Amino acid sequence: MPAAPTRTSAPLRRRLGAVLAAAGLLLVAACGGGEPATSPDGKVHISVWAWYPEFAGVVDAFNASHPDIQVDWTNVGTGPDQYAKLKTAFTAGTGAPDVAMVEFQEIPTFLILDALIDMAPYGAAEDEALYAPWAWSQVTDGERVHAIPVDGGPMALMYRKDLFDQHAIPVPTTWAEYADVAARIKAVDPGAYVASFGSDGGWINGLMWQAGCKPYGYSITEARDRVRVQLTAPECRKVFDFYGDLVSRDLMAVDPFFTADASAALDSGKYWTWAAAGWTPGYLAGSLTATLGKWAVAPMPQWTPGANDQGDWGGSTFAVTAQSQHPEEATIVARELFGRSEQAWDIGLNKAFLYPLVNDVAGDPSFTGKAYDFFGGQQVNEIFVPVSENLGEFEYTPFQDLVFSELNDRSAEAIAGSRPWGTVLEATQANVVQYARSQGFTVIE
Amino acid sequence: MAPTPRKPYSARHPLAGALFVLPFGLVVLVFLVVPLAYAFWLSLSSRSLALGSRFTGLDNYVTAFTDPQMLDGLVRVVVFGLVQIPVMLGVALAGALALDAIGTRFALAYRLIAFMPYAVPAVIGALMWGFLYSRTFGPLAGLPTLVGGEPVDLLSGSLLLVSLGNIVTWSWTGYNTIVMYSALQGVPRELHEAALIDGATPVQIALRVKVPAIRQAIALAAIFSAIGTMQFFTEPYVMARFAPEISAGYTPNLYAYNQAFQFSSFNYAAAISFALGFVVFVAAYAFVIVRNRLGERA
Repeated sequence: MPAAPTRTSAPLRRRLGAVLAAAGLLLVAACGGGEPATSPDGKVHISVWAWYPEFAGVVDAFNASHPDIQVDWTNVGTGPDQYAKLKTAFTAGTGAPDVAMVEFQEIPTFLILDALIDMAPYGAAEDEALYAPWAWSQVTDGERVHAIPVDGGPMALMYRKDLFDQHAIPVPTTWAEYADVAARIKAVDPGAYVASFGSDGGWINGLMWQAGCKPYGYSITEARDRVRVQLTAPECRKVFDFYGDLVSRDLMAVDPFFTADASAALDSGKYWTWAAAGWTPGYLAGSLTATLGKWAVAPMPQWTPGANDQGDWGGSTFAVTAQSQHPEEATIVARELFGRSEQAWDIGLNKAFLYPLVNDVAGDPSFTGKAYDFFGGQQVNEIFVPVSENLGEFEYTPFQDLVFSELNDRSAEAIAGSRPWGTVLEATQANVVQYARSQGFTVIE
Repeated sequence: MAPTPRKPYSARHPLAGALFVLPFGLVVLVFLVVPLAYAFWLSLSSRSLALGSRFTGLDNYVTAFTDPQMLDGLVRVVVFGLVQIPVMLGVALAGALALDAIGTRFALAYRLIAFMPYAVPAVIGALMWGFLYSRTFGPLAGLPTLVGGEPVDLLSGSLLLVSLGNIVTWSWTGYNTIVMYSALQGVPRELHEAALIDGATPVQIALRVKVPAIRQAIALAAIFSAIGTMQFFTEPYVMARFAPEISAGYTPNLYAYNQAFQFSSFNYAAAISFALGFVVFVAAYAFVIVRNRLGERA
């Protein structure tokens, strides 16, 4: 913040000793807090940090069905805001909740901060069959269970069915066709774009995943200080070459996602498609009104004609922190807040619009057969569910925030014209490797 | 400078002074000195993710002053300040002189209005401007179309820094106007009258009498603005979601924040903060010396 109005310094030369002593007392008093975990009601209180929409009802359902455990839920901020608080708490050694909502890509980051416990000794390994295999592989490492999956973001292509039909443009099934469609859209409406390159780390990661680019590898049980970073692999390059080409030819817009501008562009016909995730219907249903019912969902365009390669954008888990005094009860909370709870998933599916990673819930006809007004009555989960079932394994680095930040910053340079698109991945790779080495990692390139 | 009393009160009541200072001293100690000392201690070691913590002395500082992202950010805020501060202080000075010359009830209302942006929290202000700059909703991006031009993107390329500068100027011009106006109130009216009798025009009075008389206040406003600019954070932090070109190291303070809370490098973040503090200290000190030299010559 510019121009601090006052910056006063006090002369403290005298009686510094007395002042110091008094301050010491104050510090001791300030740090003396700390809630008793078992309160007079005889319940074990488990604190939870999460930012799911409509989560209060889920917490109430859990508390009603668990007489011995009381979940105390706080929303301390969305995504990065919560992680900043978590990292501070783990660095400080105090202040973290018992259970925290953590997105998949952040799990290794918190593992290397020694922030999460292994939940296997408390029975969490039993849940393996319950969850989508790709998700289970991301929350486990060998015999260890680090988190319990909740929701995911299998990707598919949203498109303006009305406009495609009106101009007799076929829905693209390959990325090559997608590029042709982009050019045709421009010819039909010079102000329109096939989509926007939204500067979102998770989004581009999902597209890379779908292209068969799996550039990261890390296993804390095998080697704490060894990480694989291979961002310049051909499968990764083809993604950036493809999108860089569309942006350079002005066939793709560059507005960031999740802004009022982006919503308006989706709702005004400026964008005709969006490679979106399983949670997108819920996110958009509230904010788009003019194009309600005009969208439809198709499977993701493929790099190889006829292939069935898929990617995921986003998704989250519950993890038990190493600061928890009640790991056993906290594990129960992580497993059962959603888990098999019908009440919780009723809220999760119908109010919060989560994409469930619980097999039984995702496979239930009430989910797959659900018609969405937003998509003109289309049963879009018939497309999203097979995507999730087809997803393979994918790993992240223990410094994924840095990787996403680098990818975004270097892409932004390319968009601004100060960097050739062909060097985005090289520059990111170089910076990430330099960071990893400075952090003491052996990097497999 | 006020003359020092010959018999200091503190000599007669040695504890009294300390007691008066105690409450404030405690706050300073607990919320300023202790955190600063802790941060400095942090900056002298490196806690790498894989290897744990070890003492590395000034290594972090060597890294900071050779880190291209840090240096880019530093250059950016300096360039920003060299343009934005003179513009802001120029407008503020003109406003203050006008207020001083008018002195009606309208002036009181104007003072309140001018001060209002300063009362708006910086985050709210930045969000508000984010919408005003929007290509879809904002009235500004479309202005060139009135004369047949293309709508511009105010949050990318060379316009990005200008747009950020506009927010800062909006927030702080009124504040600086009031500071200078208050200083003008302290200029003896006799000077004013003497200049009138000597036949000076109002413009001459303003530039030759009033401005030199409030030199100190202007200099102070300049120093505070320069320090604030070096610590530029809130506006780029909020705008980053609208403007992808605002990178992790866009300003040094933003870089320190991201290093700590995004990349888990608390030690390096502490070093960046202290390195920035050092640069600010040297710059501010140099400014004071230069100003004093110029003052002697005048």
